[in-house]
Amino acid sequence: MPWFIVVEQILNGLVLGAIYAIMASGLSLIWGSLKMLNFAHGEFYMLGGYGLYLLLLYTGLPLGVAVPICVAAVYLAGWLVERAFVQPLLDKPGWDVSPLIATLGISIVLQNLALRLLGERIQSLPYFVEGTLALGSVRIAWHRVLILLVSGLVIAAFVSILKTTRLGMALRATAQDRDAATLQGINVRGVYAMTFGLSAALAALAGTMLAPIFSVSPWMGAALLGKAFVVCVLGGLGSLEGAILGGVILGTVESLAVVLWSSEWKDVVSFIVLIGVLWVRPAGLFGTREW
Amino acid sequence: MVKPDRTPQVIWLAGLLVLVVLPAVLPNDYVVTVLILCMLHAVLASSWNFLMGFAGIFSFGHQAFYGLGAYVSALLAMRAGLDPWLGLVVGGLAAAALGAFIAVPTLRLRAAPYIAIATLGFAEIARITASNLVGLTRGELGLVGIPPLTDVGPLRFGAGSRIGSYYAMLGILALTVVTLGWLVRSRVGLALLAIRESQDAADSLGVAVTRYKVLAFAVSSFFAGAVGAFYAHTFLVLTPSTVLSIAIMIELIAMTLVGGAGTLLGPVVGAFALTLSLEQLRVLGDWRLLIYGAALVALILFMPEGVMRRLLPGRRHL
Amino acid sequence: MLALESVDAAYGDAQALWDVSLTVGRGEIVTLLGANGAGKTTTLRTISGLLRPRRGRVLLDGKRLDTRPAHEVAAAGIGHVPEARRLFANMTVRENLLMGAFRAERWADREATLERVFETFPRLAERRHQLAGTLSGGEQQMCAIGRALMGRPSLLMLDEPSLGLAPNVVDLIFDIIRQVAQGGVTILLVEQNAHLALEIADRGYVMETGRIVLEGAGRDLLEDAHVRRAYLGL
Repeated sequence: MPWFIVVEQILNGLVLGAIYAIMASGLSLIWGSLKMLNFAHGEFYMLGGYGLYLLLLYTGLPLGVAVPICVAAVYLAGWLVERAFVQPLLDKPGWDVSPLIATLGISIVLQNLALRLLGERIQSLPYFVEGTLALGSVRIAWHRVLILLVSGLVIAAFVSILKTTRLGMALRATAQDRDAATLQGINVRGVYAMTFGLSAALAALAGTMLAPIFSVSPWMGAALLGKAFVVCVLGGLGSLEGAILGGVILGTVESLAVVLWSSEWKDVVSFIVLIGVLWVRPAGLFGTREW
Repeated sequence: MVKPDRTPQVIWLAGLLVLVVLPAVLPNDYVVTVLILCMLHAVLASSWNFLMGFAGIFSFGHQAFYGLGAYVSALLAMRAGLDPWLGLVVGGLAAAALGAFIAVPTLRLRAAPYIAIATLGFAEIARITASNLVGLTRGELGLVGIPPLTDVGPLRFGAGSRIGSYYAMLGILALTVVTLGWLVRSRVGLALLAIRESQDAADSLGVAVTRYKVLAFAVSSFFAGAVGAFYAHTFLVLTPSTVLSIAIMIELIAMTLVGGAGTLLGPVVGAFALTLSLEQLRVLGDWRLLIYGAALVALILFMPEGVMRRLLPGRRHL
Repeated sequence: MLALESVDAAYGDAQALWDVSLTVGRGEIVTLLGANGAGKTTTLRTISGLLRPRRGRVLLDGKRLDTRPAHEVAAAGIGHVPEARRLFANMTVRENLLMGAFRAERWADREATLERVFETFPRLAERRHQLAGTLSGGEQQMCAIGRALMGRPSLLMLDEPSLGLAPNVVDLIFDIIRQVAQGGVTILLVEQNAHLALEIADRGYVMETGRIVLEGAGRDLLEDAHVRRAYLGL
């Protein structure tokens, strides 16, 4: 096999990994604060993809406007889901599993709503930027380069918001000790809804960026949700660093498995890697280190 | 004097009685088939609940045991002429062995999501393997020509006779519930409860945590494997996406949690309720799943602790 | 300034407070004594809004506090140093302190307040970039008090500030409490160490099994036969 194909695959793996990292950060964020798994996370990704598709189809808005609109709209959707369906379950018996069922139900509803309203036809979107970047024999589509850049920027911005801003600190404080946060005057229920919104917005951003590569369909989120869970566990749930590193590892392993072995078995390879990592580090790469 | 509370026993007996006489008044094979599926899901949900509700091990890979039981029994019957009845046991044992094998690396993990994803990993490996080993399983084309269960006395199996399968399935369900109920009330159940509440405390009290957890995995997988084999010899076609899909797992979780995890009645009630309502909702056509999802959300909002705990509060053994 | 009127409170089905009435006047140091499980912490949690009273009222300057959301209690001027300190373990000392000034009207001049807290606790200034979870017990207590002071409260509630600390550290903490009180902050102090508490308190209440059984001036309580036997070991 020519070396440049392997390099191209590694680059493609990094692109995929960046998207996984963004998806997983969102899941990790919610786990960190509410200690729950959000089964509707994939559908926020889908909403991002469909939102962009519909906006481009009907309004012809430029991408620079359409993508932020999608992300903001899905932030609101996430906020609303938390207020309407997660918050009522908080502090009630069964909290360890009840949000799982609630978000699972929401996921089924959103998937089928998309199916009914938009049909099961897989829709494709054009690349945000056409053309390919050639570095010697290594070629990579500009769209993928763009994904890498935007993902990197978004993750960096996200980390710095969490670490330095008043709201980011309130978010971390709430995740670490809810009662103590309340005593400082933090409205923890408001923070929970905001956390959900942010998490959904991250998923939506991933959805808009990946839509031109993977197409848009009602089920596009379900497949990615599984990957995002794997990434979270691989890196260590609740750890942002873990989500990022886990995403990059999974993306690269998958892409390499395709060229070095076969696409049918690539998921087997990634699950073996996962199980191997958990064997050595039972709490994932970054353990339970919280953000 | 506290009068022993017999409500759960009364419910079980009434339910059994209804299921025994029901076929006499059922209009057609379709309804019988739906009830078979209800009972099949009840066994699956009960066996998963034994792990999750009683031992506190949140497995997300129960479909692996179901599918393995199905494929092992079907292939042995087709290739080696194994009697399907014996296949139920062999399928169950194969699943139990896989369960014990998976338990070992999984038990090093503590937090529920880690266990969930690790078990899901094993299950996905099983599914992909079954899809790709086309020479053995025919992959998604489907394994066909699986022999039905052999007739026993008046009970007929095979094409066109659903009543035999109905009563066989009822027997398996009864056996599952009785065995799991007995285990839950025994020393094993007590040990598992102790582990669920606090692994460290159980450890220090001398409960052999690992041994009990492996046992819980094996028992739970056995029933899933056996009922998987039953599926194979009843519906006679197997594809990886019908018996090894993650969708099965999600259904099981919904059934168990809606009914009430950690109770014996909950998963059975949940399985019947959700399977029947999904069938009933067929009249809604394409809107079926949408309504189903909305109903799940509504149900959990009103009864976050599960239906059975809400209806019969304050009882330890349900 | 603060008044509880016939407050009942419960955790689920377990009632923890029965008919608790107490008052804290502006500028006073009031202490709440009692054994483990007597309801002292529950009383503070009820004032802070973390627990809702089943019956009765909590009033601050004549205005009801118990009907407002818990996160608004801090804005009303109450600082609460919770039992076991409850720092944000994975945040730095500085970040912990800043959270004390989370309210919008305090956030603006947070750096100035931070400097004042660092003057009170020079140790915290040295450790400002260290994770709170890695501090020693005494430093954690300082950080918890500092965090509450960052909100510049008019009433400071402290829950067992001496718990698990070496005697010389306890002296230091109590010196600081005295200092804060002299600065015009009203203090409600929960303590198991009755001797220490009564020494600095103007008045005190004694709680047993969720009820207030005795109240009086600090000096009078020190002389009271029941208090001497049950809480001072004399």
